Order: sequence, then structure tokens, then C-alpha cells
Amino acid sequence: MDQHHHSQLFEVGGAQVSRLEDVRLITGNGKYSSDWNAPDQLHACFLRSDRAHARIVSINYEKVGQIKGVVGVYTGDDAKASGYLRSANFLTFAGKGGMKAKVPDRPCIAIGKVRFVGDIVAMVIAESHLAAQDACELIEVTYDDLPAVIDPVAALAPGAPQLHDEIPGNAPFEAETGDEASVTDAISKAAHVTKLTVDCTRVTASPMEPRAALIEFDATNGGYIVHTPSQGVNMTRRQFAGYTNLAEDKFRVDIQDVGGGFGQRSTVYPEYISMMIAAKALQRPIKWVSTRTESFLSDTHGRGNIITATLALDKNAQFTGLRIDWLTDMGAFLSPTGPVSHIRNPSTCLNGVYKIPALYGHFTVALTNTMLVAAYRGAGRPDIAYAIERVVDAAALELKMDPADLRRRNYIPANEFPYKTATGSTYECADLPGLSAKALALADWSGFEARKAASAKKGKLRGIGMSTVIENTGAGMYPKDEIEISVDAKGLVTAHSVAQSQGQSHETTFAMVISNALGIPVERIKIRQGDPDKATTMIGNHSGGSRTMVGAGTVCHIAANKLIDAGKSLAAEDLGVEPSQVTYSKGEFSSKQSKKKITLAQLATKKTLCVRGEGTFLSTFPNGCHIAEVEIDPETGVTDIASYLSVDDCGHVVSHTVVEGQMHGAVVQGLGQVFGEHIVYDKQSGQMLTASFGDYIMPRAGQHLKSMRMEEHATMSKVGPLGIKGMGESGCTASLGALVNAMSNALGVKHVDMPLTPAKVWKTIQQTKAIN
Amino acid sequence: MHTFSYVKAKSLKEAGDMLAAHADAKLLAGGMTLIPTLKARLAQPSHLIDISGIAELTGIDVKDGKLTIGAGTKHVEVARSAVVKKAIPALAYLANQIGDPQVRNRGTIGGSLANNDPAADYPSAALAVGATIVTNKREIAADDFFQGMFSTALGTGEMIVKIVFPVPAKAAYEKFPHPASGYAMAGSFISQTAKGVRVAITGAGPGVFRWKEAEAALGKKMNAAAVEGINVDSTDLNEDMHGTREYRANLAKVMTKRAVAKLSGK
Repeated sequence: MDQHHHSQLFEVGGAQVSRLEDVRLITGNGKYSSDWNAPDQLHACFLRSDRAHARIVSINYEKVGQIKGVVGVYTGDDAKASGYLRSANFLTFAGKGGMKAKVPDRPCIAIGKVRFVGDIVAMVIAESHLAAQDACELIEVTYDDLPAVIDPVAALAPGAPQLHDEIPGNAPFEAETGDEASVTDAISKAAHVTKLTVDCTRVTASPMEPRAALIEFDATNGGYIVHTPSQGVNMTRRQFAGYTNLAEDKFRVDIQDVGGGFGQRSTVYPEYISMMIAAKALQRPIKWVSTRTESFLSDTHGRGNIITATLALDKNAQFTGLRIDWLTDMGAFLSPTGPVSHIRNPSTCLNGVYKIPALYGHFTVALTNTMLVAAYRGAGRPDIAYAIERVVDAAALELKMDPADLRRRNYIPANEFPYKTATGSTYECADLPGLSAKALALADWSGFEARKAASAKKGKLRGIGMSTVIENTGAGMYPKDEIEISVDAKGLVTAHSVAQSQGQSHETTFAMVISNALGIPVERIKIRQGDPDKATTMIGNHSGGSRTMVGAGTVCHIAANKLIDAGKSLAAEDLGVEPSQVTYSKGEFSSKQSKKKITLAQLATKKTLCVRGEGTFLSTFPNGCHIAEVEIDPETGVTDIASYLSVDDCGHVVSHTVVEGQMHGAVVQGLGQVFGEHIVYDKQSGQMLTASFGDYIMPRAGQHLKSMRMEEHATMSKVGPLGIKGMGESGCTASLGALVNAMSNALGVKHVDMPLTPAKVWKTIQQTKAIN
Repeated sequence: MHTFSYVKAKSLKEAGDMLAAHADAKLLAGGMTLIPTLKARLAQPSHLIDISGIAELTGIDVKDGKLTIGAGTKHVEVARSAVVKKAIPALAYLANQIGDPQVRNRGTIGGSLANNDPAADYPSAALAVGATIVTNKREIAADDFFQGMFSTALGTGEMIVKIVFPVPAKAAYEKFPHPASGYAMAGSFISQTAKGVRVAITGAGPGVFRWKEAEAALGKKMNAAAVEGINVDSTDLNEDMHGTREYRANLAKVMTKRAVAKLSGK
């Protein structure tokens, strides 16, 4: 088996390079979207619907003239006139029985009807942000209220309020994977069947950088120049083109720093499209910066899936079949990334880490009077892993088995990789039994009872839970990833990429890969992402789906080696030898034959040293086993995570510091969802009850997590030459199951839904007491 | 924010005159509630009268068994004051639990009491200790001052000048912070004086209130077991998605038990 730790491939990697972008960012020299300004810019403010579902009878904006500096008001009429009525959507595959998705129009400003609280009713443009805000309050909208439906189950029920005339029953799409008959057969013949429904709750990403844009009409080509937080220029340009029916090359998207993405910045939003209408009409740049309340209301939400898992086991506790029934609440419209990621990703990993001969998944998409749901760190993979890891624990509880033992009996053996699943995907490589054994030993799984007794002495409830997961990462929607590398006369190396860090440290990790290939210090390598002059000709994926190190990161290696080859040819002339007689080492070309040498910098003064490397990559399959131990104060319901251990396989690691940072952030993001984060709408009125951090429970440093240890158990991927597996999301994927398993164990219940706030935990304890 | 006029008062009298002159004016001390309210466009005062520089509103002093704190004193100053720590250490502790460092560096005791947020910390101390709220017009006993959610006995043109706390023999505060906002979901302040025990609960109800059953029980015996058998009546407590009224009643009791344990050194 191709398994080894801390490969020697990267000399620099072992040296724990601190992040090259840190000084710029922490000294306030980053350039985020709201840092872009144009001298003659105007400001936009959006009037949003204060009700969940209503017909717009009239919009009266006569009074805005009272406010000095108001330049214009735009409504659904302007949206209609512009023709900007449909956002791009990546849900292009066929559904159940070949059905085609019914994708509703999403005009950039609501036409005739509002469908969720926060829907855009009008946009005011003014000389100042304040004037635009004041004017918005003077617009009088008359609504004819309609009944709203917030719950996805209710939305699909007969007689539910209809969001879109063209989508009867609020059901735009249904899909399936695997073989239903074989699973039905396995369930009917099973020695034991465990069925569990879990609510993988609706949350929001809350990046530190709010949504913002500066948008200018480009009179030279009839297109637009845009600065806005994005996860990659190309995907953003493609969506702008999709929304406006203009060609992609009409959009110049210029981005420098992005303060958090999480999938939420993969979407092109209607605000930007509305601003384009005004920028063109007024021939002046338009600026907008979202408030935090607007972020809650109008930035895409994540997760929002109700999943029922039915697991069939034989008399030896071997899994014989798994059925997944998945209801996904997409909000009032279909976001570009939501439905596709919530169906495709779980279909790829429908059996989790287990050898299950019969698999079937059924996916139903529902529309509700709520904000749209889109990809959110993991995008369907944490959800499926959570459902599976929970149903396995529930089965262990019912069979009175050690959950670790039940897993051990069912892991896909290491020698069966590459493993073809019953839904047709191929897991590349993993050592699940080895990984899990290492985690169990490090977490002292067998010593838990003693720790539980010690907690009980202090009056605390202690629980332990594990979660072993695998997921698909890395493959993108573009045919290849490109990196352009050039050297200047000072010997400084610049690499261009169309990937976009939102905090993933590409400037450091890309530089480390190139530094290693070229044998020059990282400080002499500059990474530029999303340069608009390059983006128009470079092909490559955005940063999402944990794909950037697998794709663009690996291509840094390929391009650097191509640069050496190109340099050898160019240097041969100066060295007076054939290219084959040139060797390269540490920034210098030399020849034994002519005993001459020339540095990269010297060569760059004479010749153009610039190459583009490329590569195409399939999915990689990072995997891991996480073990959480929780301690609950039964008097208040407050939970401490007494210990959290992760053993992960993300193949070859370029920077352990960066990987640990990603793992830590992803686990804490999972923890946030488990213990507090929750977007809640009032079921009757459709008002959002969690539109500020006063009600939306973000995790805080030191609040839950008392100890965290991260270890590795790598198997090298052959998807790319560096052996990397994409790991930006896998911590999230593993943590939901590990934490809720530990909580269920501590509380002595089969299942308890997130969010496990102190009040919910306390209530569960009271209910359990009442039953016992 | 809507537009408003900003004026800075140099003296208590000037502030009072300004308040009298402008019916829609608001006093600005630390601004920790007012500024976010303005930013959310939920208030539209004509004037903000900045009282942060008025000398008569400053000072911490103890004399004849009474601790006097100027209304303009910031939370951080109360938390760090050697005088407060010596006289009523529980009050210094409470001040250090309010909000975050940014809030404690700006927010004032007078602002907190005048706003009477049902989940604020200070009202519980003022009520449990039996403080006197001294305004530019009169003196108001804490028992009369707090009148439910965001409501106080303060009249038009009236502003708090200082707060006088009779120094109790012992006092303790314990709070359960709301998991999102950090405000008290339930806080219990206990004070023990020659006249008896007083227990004030903040956060759990629509306004700070005294838990008289606990006062009676603890008056007989100051230990956690004394409140074990009694419960806060949950009928009028707050209930929302963050917790039932039963949960809040439970928290009030648990915080009281923990305050008692702290107070009795256990």
C-alpha cells in the first residue's frame, strides 16, 4: 500500500513557513471589495420585502424627491425592461425518469410578487449611501398578502401556497441514484433494520467581509467592470453572462482579497445585476455594501436538508442495504449551486465509508418562502456523512454493540481500493481500518468508561462519539486548470491563477510548491489570483469544493517544471550547448560540457521566460476519523467538548500549518451548526427570527472546544503528481456526526436534532428523566 | 442612521436645559445601546446630547457605609476600581461580565440603569442591594425605579447623576449568558445585610424582579440547599426560540444556588 507520512517531497513544507499573506492582511493592507472606490461613484440601497409572500399592488416613490441627492429608483419594471430575469443554474442533469428541472425565473428585482422576506422590491441610487437609505424609507409599497409556506414538508403537501405558477406543488425537481429494488429486497431480508430521520439544519456562512460591489459600465464594449467578493473570477463571469445574456468577455471582474467564502461567495446575486442596470443608465459607477442584517436575509443559506436513512443489517451486523430519502429546502428560487451540489455530492458518497452492496437515494427539491439555499462548506457531503454516521450509531445502540466495532465490521477494506460504489462512483484510495484504529487508540476509546465515571462524580454527563467519513473533492467544472509562471529581470517569479483564496492561504502554499520545484526561496515568488487581464484567457476552476490544491496547486508544480524545461532551451544558446546538456538547480542553469552557467534572472534579462502549465484532475477522496468527547452540565445544559481528535487522510500535505488551520476552522464550523447556528423563520409570518448575531448563535473562541488534536494517516492520491487530496471541507463533514453521536451518547437517546443549545439539551434531559 | 444634531453638554445644568429645550433629544453617554439603535434606524432623535464630559457624573467614593458611583462611570472603571472591589466585590465582578471589552470601555452604569434592558446586569445589583438612584431632580429607591421592560421611574428631562449603594455584609452575582447575545439569560444577585437577604433576578423575565421566596429561605439559612425545594414562578417569564420559561426559571434558580455557594465561600 502506498502509504507514508510527511513525504520528503517538500523541503520547505517541513519548515513550517508562516503565511506570506499575513503581514499584508493583519496590518490592514488587504484590499477587499468595499475598499474599491471610484471618484464619481453613486450608492445603491435596496428596499426589501418585509413579508414572505405577497403580490405587489403598487410602488409609490414620489416622496423620494424630498431627499437631496437621489438620482434614481429602479423597480421590477426596470428588471423586465433589461431582460435580466434568469440567473445561471448548474442543474443541467436529468432527474427521475428523465425529468428536466423546472428552474423558476429570478428577475434581479421582483416583478409583481415577493416570495421571501428580503426579496428586492426596489433599488434607490443616490449621491450618498445615507441619502439612498433615507429615500428607501419613503417608498410606499402596497401589498396584497398571500399565505406563505416555510416548512419544506408543508410546501410539498397538497393545497400548499404556490410560489411560482409554472412550478406546481413547489416541486421543481426530483432525482434518484442506485437501485431501489435491490435495497427494498435487502431491507425485507434483513435481520435488523434501523431507520432514522435527521434534520441537517439551515444555517448561514457569516463571512467577516460583508457582500459588497463596485460596478461600472464599460462603454468601450457595452459590458461591466466589477469588484465583488467571489470564489473565482471565471465562475463569476460565467454567471454574470448567464444572467444578462452578454458574452463572458464583456465582464472584467477585478478581485484582490476576499474575506471568507464558504460557498456563499460562489453565487452571483441579483443586487449586482440590478446595479448593472443603473450603472449603464446613469453612466456612473455604483457602489453597495451590505449591512449584517441584509447578510442574514439575502446571502445564500446553507444545508437545509431533512434526511431519512434506512439501514439493513444481516445477522452478523454486516450492512446489506441503505436507502436515503432526502428532502432539500432550496428557498424561494433555485440558486446556481444549491440543488446540483445537494444531489450530486451525496450520490457520489451514498454509502459513506462502508461496503454496502445495495444502495438507493431519492432526492426531492422543495421551494419555500425563504431565502435561497446554496453550497455551504461541504455542500451535501457533510449532510450525507451526518445521516450515515448517525444511523450507524443508532443501529449500534439498538443492537447493543460498540459503535466502533460495528464500523470495523463494515469498513471498505484497504485492499478493495479503488472501490466502485453501488451508485457508480469510484473511491480512489484510503486505509479506513488503519485510520480508524489509530484514532481509537489516540482517543483512548476503550478507557472512556473511567472518564465517564469521573465526570459523573462531578455531576456531569459525559459522552463519546466517532465519525468516519470519505468525500469527493477536487474535480471542477472547467476542462482544466492553468497556471502562468514568469520570471522578471530581478529573478522574481510571478504565478497567475484564476483560483481565488478567501482565506485558504494560496499565496503561501502555491509559492511553496513553486519554491520546491525551482529551488528558490518562497519570498521570491509572488502569487497573483484573478488578475482581470489574465482571467479572460486563462482557464481554471474557482475555489470551492476543496479543489484548489488538487488543481491549481498541482499545476504550480507542473508549470514550474515546464518553466525549467523552457529555460533549458533558452539557456542552451548562452551556455553554448544542446538543451539536453543543460542542468537546472536552485535558480541556475549550467552545463558540465561548457562549464558555463546563467541564473534565472540573467536569462530573464535576455529572453522572455513565461510558461503556462495545465492539468486536468478527477476527484480525490480525503477521509478521516474524528472522535469527540463531550461533558454536559445537566443543571444548565451547557456542553464542553472535553476532547476532539481527528485523524485525517488528505494525501500529501504541502503545509501542515495550513492544513491544520483548515481542519480547525472546518471542525469549528461544524461545531457551530451542532451547538447553535440556525436560521429560523417564523412558521406563520415567514419573518426571520435570527437576523442578527443577537439571535444567531455563532460559536466563540473558548466557548465549547477545550482541547483539539489533529493527526494524519495519509494514503497518496494518484490523481495528480503531488499526491494531494482536497481537504478544505472534510473537517466539517466529519464533525457533525462525531459531535451529535457524542451528544446522543451522553444524553442516552437514539437521536436529538441540531442545534443542541443549552436550552435544548436541558429540555432533552428533563424529557429523558420523565420517561425513566 | 437618520440625521440628528450633536451637542455636547459641559455641565449637568446645561444638559438639563438642553433636554428641556428639545422634546426629541436623547442623552448620549457611552452609546452602547443608543448607537446600534440609531445605526439600525430604529430611533430618530432630533438631538444627541453628549454627557460624557460632565464632571458631576464621575467619581467613585465610599463613605459611612455607602458606595457612591457617578452615572458616567464606565463598566471597566467599576470593574477595576479598588474602592468598589473592597466595598462590594460582587459589583466589580458584575461589571466585568457585561458585554465585551469594547462595550465595557464605553458603556456607563447610568446608561445601563436608565435603559433598564430586561437582560442587563446592573439592575439586579441595584435592586438586590437596595440602591438609591439620584437624579438631577430627586432620589428614587431601586424598588421604585425599575418598572418593567425598558421602563423606569425617570420623568421627562430627568437624568441619573449618581447611584448610592448601601454596602452589604456580603454579596454575590452569577449570570448565565445568552448563547448568542451574551446578555443575561438569567442572572441572580444576592446581598446579605443586617436587615436581611435580598435576591434580584435579571434576564429571565420582562424586567428585573426580586425572588422573595428565595429571600425568605436564604434569610433562614444561607446555603444552596435552602433554595433546592423552591422554584421561581415561571408564569410571567420570557419564552422564545432560545428557551422556554421553565428553562429560564431553572436558570434563575441554578444561578441563585451558584451565587449562594460563592457568597458562602463554598
